[in-house]
Amino acid sequence: MPVVRLEQVAVRLGPARILDGLDLQLAAGEAIGLVGPNGSGKTTLLRLLATLQPPDAGTGQVLGAALGSHETLRVRPHITLVGHAPALHPQLSLEENLRLVARLADVPSGRVHTSLKAVGLVAARERPARHCSQGMLRRTDLARTLITQPALLLLDEAHASLDAASAGLIELLVAEVTARRGAAVVVSHQPERLAGVVDRLVALEAGRLVGGEVPR
Amino acid sequence: MRPTAWLDVAAAGGLTAGLLAATAAPPDRLQGELQRLMYVHVPSAWLAYLAFAVTLVGSAGWLLRRRERWDRLAGASAEIGVFFTGLTLVTGSIWAKPVWGVWWTWDPRLVTTALLFFIYLGYLALRRSIVDPQARATRAAVLGAVAFVQVPIVHLSVVWWRTLHQPPTVIRPGGPSMDGDMLAALLVNLIAFTLVYLALLRRRIALARLGEEAERHLSGQEQPLAGEAITGPTLEGVHDDG
Amino acid sequence: MSLADTVPATAPHRAPFGRQVAELVRRDLVVEARAREALLVTFPFGAAALLVVPLAVGTDLALLRQLGPGLYWTVLLLFGALVALRHSAEEAPAERDLLALLGVDPEARFVSRVASSTVLLGAFQLLLAPVAIVLYDPALTGWWWWVATVPLVAVGVGLVGTLATGLTRNLGERTSLASLLVVVLALPLLLAATQILESARFGVRPWAWLGLLMLVDLVLSIAGLLSARTLEEAPA
Repeated sequence: MPVVRLEQVAVRLGPARILDGLDLQLAAGEAIGLVGPNGSGKTTLLRLLATLQPPDAGTGQVLGAALGSHETLRVRPHITLVGHAPALHPQLSLEENLRLVARLADVPSGRVHTSLKAVGLVAARERPARHCSQGMLRRTDLARTLITQPALLLLDEAHASLDAASAGLIELLVAEVTARRGAAVVVSHQPERLAGVVDRLVALEAGRLVGGEVPR
Repeated sequence: MRPTAWLDVAAAGGLTAGLLAATAAPPDRLQGELQRLMYVHVPSAWLAYLAFAVTLVGSAGWLLRRRERWDRLAGASAEIGVFFTGLTLVTGSIWAKPVWGVWWTWDPRLVTTALLFFIYLGYLALRRSIVDPQARATRAAVLGAVAFVQVPIVHLSVVWWRTLHQPPTVIRPGGPSMDGDMLAALLVNLIAFTLVYLALLRRRIALARLGEEAERHLSGQEQPLAGEAITGPTLEGVHDDG
Repeated sequence: MSLADTVPATAPHRAPFGRQVAELVRRDLVVEARAREALLVTFPFGAAALLVVPLAVGTDLALLRQLGPGLYWTVLLLFGALVALRHSAEEAPAERDLLALLGVDPEARFVSRVASSTVLLGAFQLLLAPVAIVLYDPALTGWWWWVATVPLVAVGVGLVGTLATGLTRNLGERTSLASLLVVVLALPLLLAATQILESARFGVRPWAWLGLLMLVDLVLSIAGLLSARTLEEAPA
C-alpha cells in the first residue's frame, strides 16, 4: 500500500487555483525530489501532504488516512514537515526548542542531544534562536526529524541556507527515513544536488506533476 | 407579485399604519407630544433583541450544518440588529433629555442595550475583516454564540448592580402605565417594525446571496493558474545606460 | 494498512493531554520571562494610568478614596486585556504547523493559553494593588475578599482574551478589535470585582457576586473548550 496516493487533487486558496488535477503515488521506501519555478505551488503541495491543507477536489490518502477527514489526526505525529521558515520560537534556545518537540512527541529527551550532535550544533545549543544564523536555524529544524523519526518526511527548500558541508545532512535524513520504509518528498531549487538522494524527480507544472528521472 | 414584494408592501403598509396610530394616539398627560417617541423606541428595542436572537440561530445553524444560508441569516440579522439598537439608543436619549433632564440613565436595560451595540458592532467588524468565507462564517458564528450567552449574564450583573445603587427617583424608561389607546398604538407599531425587520432581512440575505454568486462566477471562470503570473526575471537591457 | 507496515514500533506517540498543557504553559511563561512584555511595558502603562486620573479629575482625597477600587479594576480590565492579547503569546505559522503535526489538541492549546494568561494577570493584579493603595488610599476592610477575587478575575480575563485571540487570529486590526471584544464581554467581571470590594467595605458578605464571577468563568470555559477545535480548523 502506498504511503501517499493523490488522485486528481485540486487546491484553491481564495480565488486562485494552486493545484489542479494532481496525481501522485509514493511507495514505501521511496524518496522523490520536487522542482518547479517560484510560485508553482510546491509549498502548498507539501502542506497538503502534511494533511494541514485539505483538498478542494479529488481524493488523497496519506499513511492510510483520507485527506480532509478526521483520520488525518491519527497519522500526523508520523509526518514531519520542515518548512521554509524555521518552526522555532525565537526566545527559546535551540536545545529548548528541540526539547519541547521531544516532550510533545513523547520521545526520550536523550534524542535531543544526539540530534544536535548529528547536525553539529552541540556547542551552540544554549543560544537563543533569535541570535542564530539562518543556517543554524535550518540545521536545528532538520534535527527535528531525528527526534520525531517520521514515516513521511517533507522538506521544503531543502538546500536553502545550508553550506556544502551541511548539504550531506539532507542525504542522511532522507536515507534514514527510507531505510525505515518511510517516504520522503524533497523540494529543492538545486535539483543537481538531489542526485543520489532521491529516486526520481518530479516537476510541478500548471498545477500538476510531471514525472522524470533524476539528472545524472 | 413575487413573494418578496408582498413583504415589502406589507412592511410599508405597516409603517404607514404605525405612523397613523402614533399620531392618532392621545398625547401623554405629563410628557406631551414627546412621549410619542416611545412608539419608535420600544419597538426598536424589541427588534434589536429579536435580531440578535436570530443571529444566534444562524450561528448555531452554521456550526451544526455548515450550510451558507445560516451564515447569511446570522450576518444579515446582526446588521439590522445593530441598526435598530442604535435607533433605540438615539431615540432613548432624545426622549430622556427633555423629560428627565439627562441624556442617559444607568438603567439596566439601557446599559445592556449599549453593551449589545458594542458587542455586535464588534461582530460586524470581525465579519468585515475576514476574507475567506469559511473562516468568516465560523469565527463569526462562535462570536455570535458566545456573545449571546454572555449578554444575559451581563444584564443580570447590571441589574444587581443597579439594585444596590437605586437612584432617588425611580426612572423607568418604559413610561407610565399605559392608556388603552396608547397600548394599541404601540402594538401596531410593534407589528409594523417586525414586518420592516423581516422585509429588510429578506433583502439583505438576497443581497448576500447575489454577492456570493458574483464572487463564485468570477472565480469559477477559467482563472489562470496562480503560478503562471510569475515569470522568470529578464536581465536584458538592465545595464543599458542609454 | 496499518502503520506497522511502514514504520517500526519506535514511531512517536503523542504526549498525553496534561503534559501538552504543562509544556505549553512552561514555554509561554519562559518566553514571557525573557521577553518581559507584560512586566516592563504593560504594567508600567497601567500604573501610569492610575497616576494620570487624579491629575485629570482633581485631588479631592475623599473622592479619590471612593474611586480607588473602581479605577484599580478598570485599569486591570483594560490593560489586562493587553496582557491576555500579548503579541509574544502568538505563534508563527510554522510553529502552529509544527504543533498541529505533533498532535497537540486544540483544547490543550486553549487551556495552556488561558493558564499562562491567568498567571500573568494574577501577577499584574498583585503588582498593581500597592500602586492603587498608595495613590488612592482606599479603606482596606475586608481585604481578604479581594484575595479571593484575584484568581477568579485573572481566569476570567484570561478566558475572554484567549477567545478573542482565537477569533481575531491573523487579522490586521487584531489588537483593537480584540480589545473591544475583551472589554465588552468581560464586563460582568468588572462589576462583580468592584461590588465585592464595596460590599466588603460595608460588612456585607458578597457571596452573590463571587457566584457571578464563578458563573462567568464557567460559561466562558465551556464556550472556549467547545469552540477550540472549530477555531483551530478555520483556515487562516
